[in-house]
Amino acid sequence: MSKVVEISPTTRHEGHSKLTLKVNDQGIIERGDWLSITPVRGVEKLAIGKTMDQVPKIASRVCGICPIAHCLAGIEAMEASVGCEIPTDAKLLRVILHAANRLHSIALHNILILPDFYIPGTETKINPFTKEQPVRSVAARIIRIREIGQSIGMIAGGEAVHPSNPRVGGMYRNVSPRARQKMYDLAREGLVLAREQMEFMIAVIRNMQNREFTDVAGKKIPIPKTLGYHSQGVMATSPMYGSSSLDEKPTWDIARWKETRPWDWYMGEVTIDLEDPSYPVGGTTKVGTKANPQMEACTGVPTMDGQPVEVGPRARLATFKHFDEKGTFAQHVARQLEYPDCLYSILKCLDALDTSGKVLADPIPQGDGSLGWAANEAPRGTDVHLARVKDGRVLWYEMLVPTTWNLPTCSRGLTGAPWQIAEMVVRAYDPCVSCATHMIVVDQENRLVAQKLI
Amino acid sequence: MVSDPYLGKYTTCVSARSTDKEILQKAQDGGIATTLMVYALEQGIIDGAIVAGKGDRPWQPRPFIAMSREDILKARGTKYNISPQISLLKEATRSFGLDKVGITGVCCQMQAVRKAQLYPVNMRDVPGKIALAVGLFCMENFPYKSMQCIVEDHAGQSLHSVKKMEIGKGKYWIYTERGNVVTLPLKVTHKYEQPGCHVCLDYVSNLGDISTGSVGSPDGWSTVFVRTKVGNDVWSKAVASGMFETKPIEGVKPGLELVTKLAKEKIDKNRATVEGRKTFGVNKALRDPYA
Ligand SMILES: Cc1cc2nc3c(=O)[nH]c(=O)nc-3n(C[C@H](O)[C@H](O)[C@H](O)COP(=O)(O)OP(=O)(O)OC[C@H]3O[C@@H](n4cnc5c(N)ncnc54)[C@H](O)[C@@H]3O)c2cc1C
Ligand code: SF4
Repeated sequence: MSKVVEISPTTRHEGHSKLTLKVNDQGIIERGDWLSITPVRGVEKLAIGKTMDQVPKIASRVCGICPIAHCLAGIEAMEASVGCEIPTDAKLLRVILHAANRLHSIALHNILILPDFYIPGTETKINPFTKEQPVRSVAARIIRIREIGQSIGMIAGGEAVHPSNPRVGGMYRNVSPRARQKMYDLAREGLVLAREQMEFMIAVIRNMQNREFTDVAGKKIPIPKTLGYHSQGVMATSPMYGSSSLDEKPTWDIARWKETRPWDWYMGEVTIDLEDPSYPVGGTTKVGTKANPQMEACTGVPTMDGQPVEVGPRARLATFKHFDEKGTFAQHVARQLEYPDCLYSILKCLDALDTSGKVLADPIPQGDGSLGWAANEAPRGTDVHLARVKDGRVLWYEMLVPTTWNLPTCSRGLTGAPWQIAEMVVRAYDPCVSCATHMIVVDQENRLVAQKLI
Repeated sequence: MVSDPYLGKYTTCVSARSTDKEILQKAQDGGIATTLMVYALEQGIIDGAIVAGKGDRPWQPRPFIAMSREDILKARGTKYNISPQISLLKEATRSFGLDKVGITGVCCQMQAVRKAQLYPVNMRDVPGKIALAVGLFCMENFPYKSMQCIVEDHAGQSLHSVKKMEIGKGKYWIYTERGNVVTLPLKVTHKYEQPGCHVCLDYVSNLGDISTGSVGSPDGWSTVFVRTKVGNDVWSKAVASGMFETKPIEGVKPGLELVTKLAKEKIDKNRATVEGRKTFGVNKALRDPYA
């Protein structure tokens, strides 16, 4: 007889989400739903009537982890709508900013996942905050990598978190030769550290993958070899940066995308009848509590060819670099493999950057209401923004953010895992839930059907 | 450390002049601001300095980030209208890539620098990157149009012919390239001052690392207050390496007495304005900027 257990909220990732899990007598998940329970941000509604310059800046405030992706995707969606090509040096600065953001984000994610893993050859789980070696120096390296990523981002983008330099038409400022050299020096230092960190992380991940069991709250939980496997497809638009409808050969196909409602993908009402007070932190949801994922999921479900897809590092490597591993550990490994890519991209762009080059298009068209989209490969996956701009004002705006794609896909990937390690499956997506929560869902007749959630 | 209610805290006060003839040629007074920044740049104490350079219109300053001696020299001379120095403070650490920022500016700008360091709202990573702040004495400043009106309408000179402007000895002085010298009593210029200056409670840049102005010292010399550890370090090294000639402030005329007198006049008058604002208006006081 299957029972329902619920982990709410899930921890060690951005935003608020929960796991409602139907499990068999052995505690193996038969059907899992991972859903966002972060309140709706409403950015897309807020955008309407605002200027095309304001909206990407507002959109970047949806979250503090990949605001750079949102800012760039937002700006490029506007540029795609109005038909504005930007100067090469502006593009180079954007790629630098983007890669720097990905670098710091991978390092941040390392901190979040390490407590799930063991120091290879020991039965000690990693506490990234311990003073003991070797973890202490790993933590110091992670902090330095983040600092390097954020410093480069700050120089190219004006601000390390919500970038001020990018704008519709290019960038406000080019950088000085000194600033370029500073970024170069930082990237060179970062490359050495990122390589070391990548190797360390892969060793830790492979060690875990080869283990039979992991300890959760004092219990030995088996680790299936197929942890996190699903049979949904993958989606990526570029190994590093992204694509837009202005490209000669766009790598995202809007015709294949369809927005669907959460109740096609999530369970209906269930009552929790399995509880484990020892589950960290603070135990699972109390027996007798009702859950209704269909109604509680604060997202729509975007699909490609009618199916949810996986986005993120594994999707990028699978699409562009013949990476053929699957599941939770493959996602982790793929993410580490992106470490050096970020720095090589930065160095390549710095080599090409002309610091006296112009970084702003002139003139900047104001738009006739045409549809434009831009996809940015955010650290956690493809972030597509779509816009219609007319006379400089936004008529319509939509954000299809990475975790929105991943929520239903990951839910499928939960099947077969012991429920106690479901959060490990979730964390491998490096979820960033706040920005995923923005949907106003309409049905076939364009009626608002998810109003209760808003 | 001396702590004076009007002159702020300082460790040293001297009368000084740059020994660099090129700097002195176009400096406002003793060339202190320029020489200090050049010295700091050459010694690697700063990577660049935010100074008031040339703007679009004659005598309109525009802040810029000087990264060479040549650029720092371009900012010599006082421009009596607003140069928004702080607007570049964050940018200096961003697209200009500076790790050690030097900045010159008037008293309120020194306050802004310290505020940015104390509460770095929207100034992420800026506080630790300010390496040297040289403050100027300041009685008042003018909007561009006001200065234009003073020079063109009151003094009858065209702005591009002006070589130097100066406020001193109770007058507004205008010197032109062809040798005209016009003085206007400050009574005439008062109404053109920017209103914010009337609630300003600092005359000698109490929050600079070093502050300097003409008052107190003979013509061509400057009065210098060294205020902080950073300021002391730079100043003593610069003096030791012969960048400045100095005289004890006690030995020069009119000396600290005049500085104190003017500071007291400004601050007392402005404090009264701040007080006055509390009851100004019908049932609705004007905002007290210090509340
Ligand atoms: C608005 C204003 C009012 C002043 N009022 C007085 C006063 O009442 N009594 C007094 O003794 N001294 C006053 N000064 C200071 C004085 O005029 C000289 O600037 C000071 O003595 C420095 O001279 P110096 O030869 O050392 O500087 P220089 O070597 O000539 O360098 C001048 C420096 O001043 C900066 N500067 C020029 N114009 C501005 C501006 N508008 N805003 C910010 N920075 C600027 C430049 O960046 C440069 O670094 C005032 C200065 C200003 C800008
Ligand atoms: S009088 Fe005060 S407020 Fe006015 S410019 Fe000078 S320092 Fe700033």
